[in-house]
Amino acid sequence: MRVAVVGKGGSGKTTTSAIVARTMARHGATVVALDCDSNPNLGLSLGVGDFETERLESMRESLDEGGEEHAPGWDDLIARFGSDAPDGVRLAVVSRIDNPSPG
Amino acid sequence: MRLAFVGKGGVGKSAIAGTFCRALARQGHPVLAIDSDPLPGLAFSLGLTISDAPLPDEAIEDKPEGEEGPRYRLRAGLTAADAIDQYAATAPDGVRFLQFGKHRGSTGRGLFRSQFAFRQILRELPEDRWNIVGDLPGGTRQPFTGWGDYARLILIVVEPTAKSMLTARRLSRLALDEEHPRQIVAVVNKAREAGDVKTVEERTGLEVVGAVPWDVAFAEAEEKMAAPIDLAPGSAAVKAVESLVEQLSAERIS
Ligand SMILES: Nc1ncnc2c1ncn2[C@@H]1O[C@H](COP(=O)(O)OP(=O)(O)OP(=O)(O)O)[C@@H](O)[C@H]1O
Ligand SMILES: Nc1ncnc2c1ncn2[C@@H]1O[C@H](COP(=O)(O)OP(=O)(O)OP(=O)(O)O)[C@@H](O)[C@H]1O
Ligand SMILES: [Mg+2]
Ligand SMILES: [Mg+2]
Repeated sequence: MRVAVVGKGGSGKTTTSAIVARTMARHGATVVALDCDSNPNLGLSLGVGDFETERLESMRESLDEGGEEHAPGWDDLIARFGSDAPDGVRLAVVSRIDNPSPG
Repeated sequence: MRLAFVGKGGVGKSAIAGTFCRALARQGHPVLAIDSDPLPGLAFSLGLTISDAPLPDEAIEDKPEGEEGPRYRLRAGLTAADAIDQYAATAPDGVRFLQFGKHRGSTGRGLFRSQFAFRQILRELPEDRWNIVGDLPGGTRQPFTGWGDYARLILIVVEPTAKSMLTARRLSRLALDEEHPRQIVAVVNKAREAGDVKTVEERTGLEVVGAVPWDVAFAEAEEKMAAPIDLAPGSAAVKAVESLVEQLSAERIS
């Protein structure tokens, strides 16, 4: 099963995603939680804390900047750039900081 | 003054910015309200019944073949100041509202042209004519990639929650820019406890210049798609924004 959560700013996307992820994990599913926000904070809702949430972000940034070797595939990416959250959920930050200005 | 509100999604940027604009205009200052969100949210908080205000096609022309510069621009002879006078919407208390249209399913060419003109206006508008108050999209994606360059003062709206404070820390890092020196401060919103201001100061490292309490009147205004300052003029949240306006205009308008 693959679920994406979308909606208005501050409507509860991140909070909902985290609860869905942890509930599914508690029911025995293998869950990967992907934070696709350019302002990633899913770690806080999953319960890994400020420090780990910021560490994942800086890892993601250094990957964008070429400071880290790119992982070859999905599994490797999740293993190397993810973090363990409660209930066995695996969290990974996948957003890029795009420049959205036209021109 | 030239300032912009930024912050995590849903913290109350639009509600505060709209109320701020109206209160500033009531003090007799000319106010230009800017919404650069492709899913705009400022107009209702200003008391307008439209949500977006794209610049019309007649205001924009293609860059002639071979010339340098952006792909589209204001038509020859139309200055940034003229464009505001002619095309910005007019909200109550004389606040003018500039926006570039909104995403309606497909990303139209009209929206794209309007965005170019919008950015040109903000680059070229003379400093002394308008007080500019911007409402930027939530999160860290847009604000410091050229969309908020007009702002000399960045007001980071912060709820006293972990996610909002994390976002505020990121925004305050991103806002540091030697090319565009500006002051960066915080406004606490949806404050519920006496300790909220101190918590935000400690966990963001920012100076807090105002605190707006959690107030059901703001939420009700949103439901009715009306301006808080019209619907709930005496509410605690509106009063808090009014005192922020007084404080900033005393301090920062020359
Ligand atoms: N059902 C609820 N009851 C009370 N508060 C809630 C509820 N759902 C979410 N919240 C609170 O609302 C705020 C915004 O939630 P959240 O960060 O999950 O939204 P979001 O849609 O992910 O925001 P963003 O657009 O910034 O990514 C948080 O402080 C969260 O705790
Ligand atoms: N002080 C407050 N007390 C109670 N509710 C508030 C307060 N400030 C804002 N709100 C409510 O919070 C919600 C989000 O506000 P608003 O749309 O202004 O946020 P925003 O930061 O502009 O969101 P977005 O990131 O989507 O642009 C609205 O329902 C609004 O009425
Ligand atoms: Mg979120
Ligand atoms: Mg908004």
